[in-house]
Amino acid sequence: MKARNRELFGLIPASLLVVAGFTAVFIQRQDQVSNVSLTYGALFLGLCLGGHFFLRFALPNADPYLFPLFAALASIGLVMIYRIDETLARQQAQWFVIGLACFAATIIFLRDYRKLERYRYLIATASILLLMAPRLPVIGGTVNGAYLAVDIGPLTFQPAEFAKIGIVIFLASYLRDTRQLLVQGSRRILGVTIPPLKQFGPLLVVWGLAMLMLIFIRDLGSSLMFFGAFLALLYVATNRLSFVVVGLGMFSVGAWFFASNLAYVQDRVDIWKDPFGSGVIDNEGYQIAQSLFAQADGGVFGVGLGQSLLDLPGGAVIIPAPDTDLIYAVITNELGLVGACGVILLYLLIVERGFRIAQLARDSFSTLLAAGLTAVFALQVFVIIGGVTKVIPLTGVTLPFISYGGSSIVANFVLLALLLLISERARSREREEAG
Amino acid sequence: MLEPASVALKFAFLAVLYLFLLWVARSSLRDLRRPIGGGVQVIPTDATGLHSAVVGLEHEPIGDLDPRLRVERASGLIGGDEYDILEGLVIGRGEVDVRIEDVFASSRHAKIAPEGNLLVLEDLGSTNGTFLNGEVIRGPQPLHPGDRITIGDNEFTYWQ
Repeated sequence: MKARNRELFGLIPASLLVVAGFTAVFIQRQDQVSNVSLTYGALFLGLCLGGHFFLRFALPNADPYLFPLFAALASIGLVMIYRIDETLARQQAQWFVIGLACFAATIIFLRDYRKLERYRYLIATASILLLMAPRLPVIGGTVNGAYLAVDIGPLTFQPAEFAKIGIVIFLASYLRDTRQLLVQGSRRILGVTIPPLKQFGPLLVVWGLAMLMLIFIRDLGSSLMFFGAFLALLYVATNRLSFVVVGLGMFSVGAWFFASNLAYVQDRVDIWKDPFGSGVIDNEGYQIAQSLFAQADGGVFGVGLGQSLLDLPGGAVIIPAPDTDLIYAVITNELGLVGACGVILLYLLIVERGFRIAQLARDSFSTLLAAGLTAVFALQVFVIIGGVTKVIPLTGVTLPFISYGGSSIVANFVLLALLLLISERARSREREEAG
Repeated sequence: MLEPASVALKFAFLAVLYLFLLWVARSSLRDLRRPIGGGVQVIPTDATGLHSAVVGLEHEPIGDLDPRLRVERASGLIGGDEYDILEGLVIGRGEVDVRIEDVFASSRHAKIAPEGNLLVLEDLGSTNGTFLNGEVIRGPQPLHPGDRITIGDNEFTYWQ
């Protein structure tokens, strides 16, 4: 079967998911949702087909599983959001249109994505400025004490979502040039490998700036994501576990320092340690505690689509932020352990495909870029699912392609486009060489 | 109120999800068993690709070796001549260690310098660029025996 036919076949399950999900929600909540809103589901399916035919023409040899995997995630997300609030589902469907347009634009304009290497310092600077923007007076805005969003007229967006791609592009291109020097130029002092400062310096500066910005704008989730991606790329580029060990050590020291000195980090850690404490559970701990209750309530197979109790009739909120931060808890509640594992497996397979693309790529920039994008994606999923299940302190990043949010959808579509471009390049070379 | 239809739909939803996961996982596993590049000889595309990060990163100190730059063909120089480059040198059209008579070369075109345990080639902001094994270089690149350095029509090789 040809790659694109496989992809078309893979879109059938995604469309079944949308149909089954929307019908189930519609039957359960007829009083609250209208049948007009069912058209959002149809619109979504049309978009998937449009994306597929575009890929058929633009990237015939690219990985056939990534697009259906993303479509399956998006369909689960759309069903959940439709179930929570039908107006949000309409907006989310609109965001898919915009996201898909950016996806197509990325593929058309960055066909030779290796030209990104030339603009790496520009990209790095732009990413850091983006991260800083929410702190600016007029356009900045806070979400739960973190400076996450930028408001320009009618448009609100979360710059960290876009900055993550920019920083990965910079790191990949910088490490492609210097990776050999980082290893071969290293001196061993007292048994510790010290990389040459001349090559390591700019890396530390850009990384340090990104970190400072994240502390400055109080986005802990993203800073964890960035740091993890930085270490993953360093490991892929140099094959040196010692760099990763040193990096993790640096991170532990930093985490300990911030947790004991910065009030808002301290608060998050305290809530995480004991969300059920008296006085905590009704206030700061409410979100995480309700998330855990909702997941436990779901059981093995869940209470059913559209059955989850989000608000009491009186207006009391049972699950706060169900469309963004806690959407994973709502999925676990309605589809149970089995459904939640399914979602995690979808992410796992995406990550597997991403690393496979990195492995197949023939030049180091492509390998590093694919590995970096995959790592940052995987870490984002870990940060939010880990937060909702109380593995790590809860910090607000979006669950890619499932959470409601325009920036997240658009940025992840661009990420997907880059992965597919790398894959196309690697696979078409392979076909040529195989004859 | 729990309608039987919606219970059935929930299980249908989960079944479709898992069948899809199974399909992708099975195809991915088959894909993983296939050797990379389908058993075809892998041809590296960038200058450093010849020497992957995994193999041969450890180097003997160059002090124990005899690093040389051999002239393959260069206007104004005799082919086969060799330069001792243990201390590094500069190639260009102006008053430098290795002078080539080529209008495409900049006066200070490229530099070879020791860096830790190896020698690195670096372009000094030349107009027409420096090529290592046929790829234009960006940033300093370590040299390995047999590497071809090309400036305009002039070609050098590195040996140790």
